Amino acid sequence: MTDTITAPTIEYLLLSPLLVVFGAAIVGVLVEAFAPRYLRAAFQVPLTLLSLVAAFALVIFVVVKDGVPNKAAAMGAVAADGPALFIWGTILLLAFVSVLLIGDDFVPSAVAVPGSVEEERAVSEGAAHTEVYPLVLFAVGGMLLFAASNDLLVMFVALEVMSLPLYMLCGLARRRRLLSQEAAMKYFLLGAFSSAFFLYGTALLYGYAGSIDLSKISTSLSSVGGQDSLLFIGAAVLGVGLFFKIGAVPFQMWKPDVYQGAPTPITALMASGTLVAAFGALLRVFWVALGNLEWDWSPVVWAVAILTMVVGAILAITQTDIKRMLAYSSIAHAGFILTAVVATAGAKQNSLALSGILFYLVAYGLTTVGAFGVVTMVRDPGGEAWHLSRWAGLGKRSPKLAMVLAFFLLAMAGIPLTSGFFAKYAVFSAAVSGGAVALVVVGVVASAIAAFFYVRVIVLMFFSDPAADGPSIVMPIATRGVVGFAALATVVLGVFPQPVLDLASKAAQSLFVR
Amino acid sequence: MNFASPAFWPPTTQEIVFLLLGVIAVGSAVLVVTTRQLVHAALWLVVSFGALAGGYLVLTAEFVAWVQILIYVGAIVVLLLFGIMLTRAPIGRSADLDSGNQIAALVVGVATAGVLVSVLVAGFRHAYMPLTPGAGAAKPLGSSIFRTWVLPFEALSVLLLAALIGAIVLSRTDIRGR
Amino acid sequence: MEPIVEHSGGVIGASWLMIAFPLASAAILLLGGRRTNAWGHLLGVFAPVASFVVAVMCFLQPSGRYDVGLYDFIPGVAKVGLLIDPLSITFALLITGVGSLIHIYSIGYMAHDPERRRFFAYLNLFVAAMLLLVLADNYLVLFLGWEGVGLASYLLIGFWQFKPTAATAAKKAFVVNRVGDFGFLVGLFTIFATFGTFAFGPVFDNAAKASNGTLTAIGIMLLIGACGKSAQLPLQSWLLDAMEGPTPVSALIHAATMVTAGVYLVVRSGAAFFPEGATASLIVTIVGVATLLAGAIIGTAKDDIKKALAGSTMSQIGYMMLAAGLGPAGYAFAIAHLLTHGFFKADLFLGAGSVMHAMKDEVNMRRYGALRALMPVTFITFFIGYLAIIGFPLLSGYFTKDGIIETAMDSNAILGWLAVIGAGITGFYMSRVVFMTFFGSKRWADDVHPHESPSVMTWPLIILSIGSIFLGGYLILSNRLMVYLGPAVGLPEALPQFHPFSPTGLATLALVALGAAIAWVRYGSAEVPQVAPRGSFLTTFARRDLYGDALNEALLMRPGQWLTRLAVWFDNKGVDGVVNGLAAGIGGSSGRLRRIQTGFVRSYALSIFVGAAVLVGAWYVVGNL
Repeated sequence: MTDTITAPTIEYLLLSPLLVVFGAAIVGVLVEAFAPRYLRAAFQVPLTLLSLVAAFALVIFVVVKDGVPNKAAAMGAVAADGPALFIWGTILLLAFVSVLLIGDDFVPSAVAVPGSVEEERAVSEGAAHTEVYPLVLFAVGGMLLFAASNDLLVMFVALEVMSLPLYMLCGLARRRRLLSQEAAMKYFLLGAFSSAFFLYGTALLYGYAGSIDLSKISTSLSSVGGQDSLLFIGAAVLGVGLFFKIGAVPFQMWKPDVYQGAPTPITALMASGTLVAAFGALLRVFWVALGNLEWDWSPVVWAVAILTMVVGAILAITQTDIKRMLAYSSIAHAGFILTAVVATAGAKQNSLALSGILFYLVAYGLTTVGAFGVVTMVRDPGGEAWHLSRWAGLGKRSPKLAMVLAFFLLAMAGIPLTSGFFAKYAVFSAAVSGGAVALVVVGVVASAIAAFFYVRVIVLMFFSDPAADGPSIVMPIATRGVVGFAALATVVLGVFPQPVLDLASKAAQSLFVR
Repeated sequence: MNFASPAFWPPTTQEIVFLLLGVIAVGSAVLVVTTRQLVHAALWLVVSFGALAGGYLVLTAEFVAWVQILIYVGAIVVLLLFGIMLTRAPIGRSADLDSGNQIAALVVGVATAGVLVSVLVAGFRHAYMPLTPGAGAAKPLGSSIFRTWVLPFEALSVLLLAALIGAIVLSRTDIRGR
Repeated sequence: MEPIVEHSGGVIGASWLMIAFPLASAAILLLGGRRTNAWGHLLGVFAPVASFVVAVMCFLQPSGRYDVGLYDFIPGVAKVGLLIDPLSITFALLITGVGSLIHIYSIGYMAHDPERRRFFAYLNLFVAAMLLLVLADNYLVLFLGWEGVGLASYLLIGFWQFKPTAATAAKKAFVVNRVGDFGFLVGLFTIFATFGTFAFGPVFDNAAKASNGTLTAIGIMLLIGACGKSAQLPLQSWLLDAMEGPTPVSALIHAATMVTAGVYLVVRSGAAFFPEGATASLIVTIVGVATLLAGAIIGTAKDDIKKALAGSTMSQIGYMMLAAGLGPAGYAFAIAHLLTHGFFKADLFLGAGSVMHAMKDEVNMRRYGALRALMPVTFITFFIGYLAIIGFPLLSGYFTKDGIIETAMDSNAILGWLAVIGAGITGFYMSRVVFMTFFGSKRWADDVHPHESPSVMTWPLIILSIGSIFLGGYLILSNRLMVYLGPAVGLPEALPQFHPFSPTGLATLALVALGAAIAWVRYGSAEVPQVAPRGSFLTTFARRDLYGDALNEALLMRPGQWLTRLAVWFDNKGVDGVVNGLAAGIGGSSGRLRRIQTGFVRSYALSIFVGAAVLVGAWYVVGNL
């Protein structure tokens, strides 16, 4: 044996968006270490935003330079294909707008006990945790890797890289701190629990296929015989880990608690970016690794999709906290997307379903970031006006803001001329052509139930009288920009969806790399 | 993994050693949850982990075995012991270590173990793989980590960095404003 | 008819700019808020003018039927595309041309209104929606424009929402239009169910293959939509109340353009759903004749100058409908009359607005009188519009209205004679308006000091009156418009010849002259009482809009209320039981499900574990099936 190691081949250009984000995160850590305290925010914010923009530009550059790639990069660890790049672009865009939402949402000193003297002192001294920016970048890097990982080990590591900073960030809300810490703790415990499931599934699948490479698992399905229980249980347990991340029923419990407790910009990031990344990974596992096993998993995913849509929509009705309501709505939307996940049959149908999912992710991601952006603007003296009763009569107090939120809610309900309509149309029509008519019927019924609670908020805002001591509206310029951008995107995708639909179907054309 | 499998009887020396280590590991694990002294439980855990490391060794996974000893025996159990001592948990026999749910826990644990064991048996009953000495040593592992698995490895280092930053955020008390 | 060809690029390919300019302007003005107050009206005027330029450039291109695909709206179901053909170009020219003039006029008319910017934003929105309506290449996008103009009309009628009458009128227009839109929607669904597409080309090509009953049903449904938008019987009642809006709105929307959308719809769909001699076409002509008489009779008794003109609008659109029901022979006259009416009616409305501007927003003609010397430009232009509408020889209305009457006479003598009688009544009520306003003695309130309007208001009047003089002759002589529109709507077997002294024409002229003479005797030479006399049964009948509202009340509202009560009863007993049960069921299950969300992390973990177990079990079972 020689003492040299052959250097691995790394496709740096293909990986550049990922590397830029991780690199910027590490630079951010160095800034924390060496920059004087009063300068840190001034470094961190532009650094974070610029790196996200640069990564986005690199995604476009990669596609423009060599066309849509379709290969496994970095010794087969990362899949560089159309869906991956589309999802990267989506995540980077959503992360960018979510970062812009960050205002005074974070606790000045995480270690101070809520309500203690230390906390008051930290507030009065204007302390701030600028570490949140590198942490967000770590999480975003994890999302990028998660959606593009080509083997289960990379996927697991990416899952942790994505989740760990998010566990942290969830606990750093400035107001309602106990709720926030509770949310972080729950998210951490349950996240670790689900990661264990994921890892166990990986181990069982490795036992079955002798490889953790997605495409090798796929090829082993036809060659290995007699160990089906290993395969089924491995795949099911792996599925638990993935379903947990998208918040599918019955693994959804964490979502309302965490969305409610986390600082709202982080909630926006989780509701958009994490969901996108998790669907990217879920599709890779189910379509690439288990693609030939479709007859076995599709009834299970059917059941999960139905449960997710129905439970998400029904539970949202009785919510009184706007963030919890949006969390349940996010659960229901995950169910809607799942209807297209099962709609597989042949390459053409698959690429139709995939492009529908990709469009849905962009449309829903932007709408939901916009909605959470509005949530940050409506303030009570003690922070955000979270209770729905406080939103009564907002239409009279601040008609423009209320109209924008009403518009986002209508988009989530899927009213025509909003992006939500085409998103639903895309996934449902894919599901119908994939033979999942019953699923679509359930989806439409769930949409109708969901429309009820969206409209209820609209009615509350426009047809109730405002309370005398109603919430005030704060409109930082960046937040206003984010909400405006999201509203614009919701309109444009609703009236003129063609370019993005084209882009999505182009990205979906070659399907996932195998 | 479909090599011709030799007969189960007579067992080889390796198989006998492996079985013995397995008995030790399971036995000490049972003692961990049944002993009435918290410190003893931690120490039985050392035995269990050690036996597991021995099992790895028999399977030629040298590197993993030493990592098991260094990290689990060396670090994690020590951490546990420190935890017990620093939180002034009662040292010595205590009667309230069992909760009322032990029957349910037992059922769940046995059921889970049953499922897993049956799956593994079903899956690997006929699987056989000859062992090559040295395949699990540091060198081949290293060269494969830095070649095939270089990206997840680097991602792991990023993960650790992120965890470090998180720990600092949660524990740092010297934050002062601008 | 020529086939429709796909087209992209060039001037035609840029035709979407016509819609984009006013839409962008409306968006800027609405979103920009007060910041744009200073220059908002200028932008608001620029947009329709720019659209007009584009429309003219499209008009100058070689004539043909071009389908400009923009993008897939609902992939596989509907495209957003524009159909550029002689018919749509004609409409686009009218909308942007007259629209631009009315925008310019509004700068002066709305000068003192603090919300002028918002007014221009709504007007721009209207122009964009109206252009979308006439340029659409399929029924779905046409419907979008249709709803868009309805929205703009609602916003503009209720523009002075502090006046309760305006708010009520806006609501009434909205509700009545819903009835029409419902018919239109049913027609739309039937079209899609029958042809599998909304696009004009395939629908028209395949119409012959559909059954007669289906075609008639679609035709009647589209006609109901057209009746709502164009204020035809029995959905006419909203138009008179719509005069609560600012006068430029009445001129643009409720005289020149939007109310003609129904005519456009019938002509556009004519080849497929309203062929000559079909049942649907017969109904169109009957509706047209009934409305032209009803509108004229209403016009005779109104003292409010705008309402008198509104009755006249109904009546004139009735003429167009009549012509549109007569097949290819009538289409060109319908469109020609629509165009000339667009000019002279806009002229009359803007003239009326100019008078109201001078008279401190007084609308009662019994408080006018003898204004001709004080407002010479307004008087002359109004008078030209008057001569044009009554069909004075050689002016616009003479050619177009006579064409309609002649064609109707050829088709069915009863229709023809009713149309002639309508022309006679027109002669009476329009003369009445002119005499009461500009002749006779002063009957003003003491604090009113009439004056001529500023030039920004009079110039549009002058341009419109020039159009009112010459446009009709230009379009009708040597069948210019008919030949031009031929590729889009089809040609009759023989081109009609214009006879200057046909018996029908002479009879019409005689009746018009008689009507004008009666008006002179009663309102020109005699003193007009300032308070309306009680009048005969017929006058009351006309004053009360032919009891249209009473009829609506008796036939629709009362039974509607009874029906509502019955429905409420049924709803409470039956439906609510089910719906409330359902809602309570969902709410209840929501409440029950919510209890699972205990907040304890251990129960969440248990839920995950149980879920995982179920998933594994299910998978295992399914996998081993």
